[in-house]
Amino acid sequence: MREMSRRNMLKFAAVAGMAGTAAACSGVGGGSGGGGGGGTDAGGSATLRYAWWGNNVRQENYTNALNAFMEDHPEITIETEFAEYTAFQERMTTQMAARNVPDLFWVPSAQVMTYYANGLFHDLDGVGTLDLSDYSDADIDGLRLDGVHNTMALGIFVPVVRYNATMAEEDGVTLPEGEDWSWDGFTEFAIDYAANNPNGRWAVNYGPDHDLTLEAWLRQRGEQLWTEDGQIGFTADGIASWLDFWENLRLAGAAPSLSEQDGVGADWSLIGERVLSYFGNSNHIIDDAQFFPEATFLLRNMPVAADATAGHPYLYTPRLAIYGDIDEANLEAAGTLLNYSANNSDMLRITGLTMGAPVNPRVAEEVTEFASPDEQQMLDAVSHDRALERNPRYEAPAGSSTWRTILTRVSEQVALEQSTTVDAATAMIAELQAAIERAA
Amino acid sequence: MATATTPSRRKSRLNRQGRAAHVFMLPWLVGLVGITAVPTLASLYLAFTDYNVLSTPEFIGLANFERMFADERFWQSVRVTLTYVLVSVPLQLAFALLLALILDRGMRGLTFYRSAFYLPSLLGSSVAVAVLWRELFGHSGLVNSALALVGIEGSSWLQNPQTALGTLVVLNVWTFGSPMVIFLAGLRQIPEELYESARVDGASVLRQFGSITVPLLTPIIFFNLILQTIGAFQAFTQAHVVSGGSGGPVDSTLFYTLYIYQQGFTAFDMGYASALAWVLLVFIGVMTAGHFLLSKYWVFYGD
Amino acid sequence: MTTQTVTPTAPPTGAAAASTTRRRPRRRGRSVARHAGLGVFVAFMLYPLVWMVTSAFTPESEILTGPLIPEEFTLENFINGWNSLTRPFWVFYGNSFVVTISSIVGNLFSCSLTAYALARLTFKARNVYFGIVLVSVMLPMHVLVIPQYIIFSQFDLVNTFVPLVLPKFLATDAFFIFLMVQFIRGIPRELDQAAAIDGAGPFRTFWYVIFPLMRPALVTTTIFTFIWTWNDFFTPLIYLTDQSVFTVPVALSSMVDAESNSGIGMLLAMSVLSLIPIMLFFAFAQKYLIRGITTTGLKG
Repeated sequence: MREMSRRNMLKFAAVAGMAGTAAACSGVGGGSGGGGGGGTDAGGSATLRYAWWGNNVRQENYTNALNAFMEDHPEITIETEFAEYTAFQERMTTQMAARNVPDLFWVPSAQVMTYYANGLFHDLDGVGTLDLSDYSDADIDGLRLDGVHNTMALGIFVPVVRYNATMAEEDGVTLPEGEDWSWDGFTEFAIDYAANNPNGRWAVNYGPDHDLTLEAWLRQRGEQLWTEDGQIGFTADGIASWLDFWENLRLAGAAPSLSEQDGVGADWSLIGERVLSYFGNSNHIIDDAQFFPEATFLLRNMPVAADATAGHPYLYTPRLAIYGDIDEANLEAAGTLLNYSANNSDMLRITGLTMGAPVNPRVAEEVTEFASPDEQQMLDAVSHDRALERNPRYEAPAGSSTWRTILTRVSEQVALEQSTTVDAATAMIAELQAAIERAA
Repeated sequence: MATATTPSRRKSRLNRQGRAAHVFMLPWLVGLVGITAVPTLASLYLAFTDYNVLSTPEFIGLANFERMFADERFWQSVRVTLTYVLVSVPLQLAFALLLALILDRGMRGLTFYRSAFYLPSLLGSSVAVAVLWRELFGHSGLVNSALALVGIEGSSWLQNPQTALGTLVVLNVWTFGSPMVIFLAGLRQIPEELYESARVDGASVLRQFGSITVPLLTPIIFFNLILQTIGAFQAFTQAHVVSGGSGGPVDSTLFYTLYIYQQGFTAFDMGYASALAWVLLVFIGVMTAGHFLLSKYWVFYGD
Repeated sequence: MTTQTVTPTAPPTGAAAASTTRRRPRRRGRSVARHAGLGVFVAFMLYPLVWMVTSAFTPESEILTGPLIPEEFTLENFINGWNSLTRPFWVFYGNSFVVTISSIVGNLFSCSLTAYALARLTFKARNVYFGIVLVSVMLPMHVLVIPQYIIFSQFDLVNTFVPLVLPKFLATDAFFIFLMVQFIRGIPRELDQAAAIDGAGPFRTFWYVIFPLMRPALVTTTIFTFIWTWNDFFTPLIYLTDQSVFTVPVALSSMVDAESNSGIGMLLAMSVLSLIPIMLFFAFAQKYLIRGITTTGLKG
């Protein structure tokens, strides 16, 4: 593609001429700072492009944090590239095709291996400005892809059950504890709560499409999402049992219908006041709790089945990478910024902990000084799972980047009673398998 | 000179017009070569390749096209799109033409009505539409609240695969203001003298409508028909915004272009996406050519 | 389909008659009925917009669950939204205006020239060119985005408005060429022929005869370009990465993340604000739609 557009350069020169004219007469004159690629000059200064996603709150916090970084490092200029999650991925895809990728960028979870397979990540061994002295070998091993250390973690998420303690108190209930905190125990509690609470509340959102909790379910069964060699790590039985778990709750009235919660991905602002608990990521409490400031939210780690496979807990790490084809002159500066992002509590003081608990043990200790109560909940939930024995976890292979969309679709089919859970699970595996084979 | 008849003079006039025409079309020609043609031809080539956006395209012949036959989601997107086109275009144009005719003749509050009908089109396919549509068609939205008054308990129209596409048809019809403005512009262009002389001849209003308004408006009706049809085939943003890009529930709003987008931008299968795009192009092309052939029988041009 | 769309032209006799004759008492009843009918229809159509405006003034937590008229009136959504992206929202307004106005100028200039050539001048391969115009309306944009992005990024034009505006000056919005061709073909040939007899060449004929007579088409093009450019999201999203050059839709999309659920209040408030320029523009531009060929055309 690049070749093709080069060949057309001559023809296009005419267009470029027009570009100048048009810009001049319409008064746009390239009126924008930057114009793309990072650059360096003799003075050792560097311009870096930093891309991330989120909502406007996160946009503002990270912009402030990056500005603070620039004040400390006047030789480094950061050009920010922000968009919401879906738009971020659209833009990244386009930029990758043109090999015009930001120098540092967040990596969407389903695309880790796709990006990796296409050389988008720079090897971090030998980036002198990146300080790894606080980390244990296990921490770094957890980040390696195919044995290469080429991304850093923005933080750690674990799957949790978040519940509204204010509601529980009003309704005079307590969630099952200890050995009763199992999937069956939860189901029993949930059905009972929904049937008997005086306010007509549901016990939980209908959430079969949530990736982190599904992964917890599978790992307790001795399955996993993906295998080390880039294949599907779960069986149709595994998915079907997961869908059955949710159908059971929905049919018993413990969870809302798709209609009542506005789709499989429940709208929190819509159902937050009507559900006691919610299956989600540990970090979501930070944004979601603010929606209902008068209520107190608490986190529970995943229920554990009596026969759960040893080593089932896991940590999910959203990743931050340096672009593989970064101008090598900018690499040291990029390392400095990466260091600031991963190993510095000053940054987290500004951004908050929406991207999870720090991996760096020293930083994880430091942030407890300023963590809000909700953030402290999150930190505790992560520490709990982090202290447990954990089997390795592998990222989604190339070709599987649509797996969450497929999961959503089969969840809809089941919830709308268009398909049995077993048929839906089988169809999901077949579709994914075909996509992975095509990408191979 | 303009009415020259001898062959050589006629030829020179043609040449002169030909040169002038190319001068007039220069910006468009430059844009065609520099901006449109290269990407178009690139996408044509990519349709015959396996191209994951990141690595080099690999030529695979007709494999992408063969894949479509067995691709259930492809057929689902064809069904969704055809249904949408066949239902929403006639409805939207009917509303647009009817209201343009009503508003064309002077009446009190004309400006207000025209603006009011146009307002929904101004909103375009802004992200706010997703919120609006949920407020209207969601579980406890306006429609269900109205139904509850007559004792019918409804569930979300957006989350029901039987009705989700219907809400997008309503969204399209709701924005009938755009073709209405084009109709209004067309009505304005009909020379008033024609009506005056018709009145002098004692033609009834109905007669004037049948023999002046309709024939002279046919180029614009034709234009709106073609463009709204092409637009409906390419409908994307509405479904993208309302379903959050999934085409759900259960692919019931999986528009063809949404499927192209999912393949190209989410599944990184730009080769297949390009093949899908060219199938659509050929289909719309054949259909438009058919419209043009038929137009000889009903479209009247002033020239 | 063709016949379906033409048949609903059931003549609104009342409407046509009322206009051609002076308003008479016995028509008053019918007029009242028409206004009532239209009024109900307008109310129905505008309800979603009314909801949007009132919700913009509602505290965020009550938007989806509360009544239409908020119990508590607040400006919080506007204040939060205006400053939500680390710079005041007028920056995005400014960018949107520059892009929109430039696009209008570009489309009016390039499309009218091309349309005139295709509609009125006789030359070889005219039909081929016209066919190309139509085909370029038909190709879905999503497969063109990446090759086009590659072209513009090769010239280091990312984060400028050039990739958004230059194509308009080069008539890539073939829709408008088609629109104008249809309109020009509706202009009686006698007018050009009269100009030709007076010795005018194609350029003079275009400028003094056709261009002024195209006014409804030009106004339509202006209105449509304004709305489409103002609302366009995908293209600016891809070409504009620096927040200082964001246009309004890109800024709006940043307010609600697919992964989280807050921000609806700000989104609605800023959407309402972003509608105001288009509404004002439309109210202004539509005045120019009302005069027809007899008054402006022959004077021009």
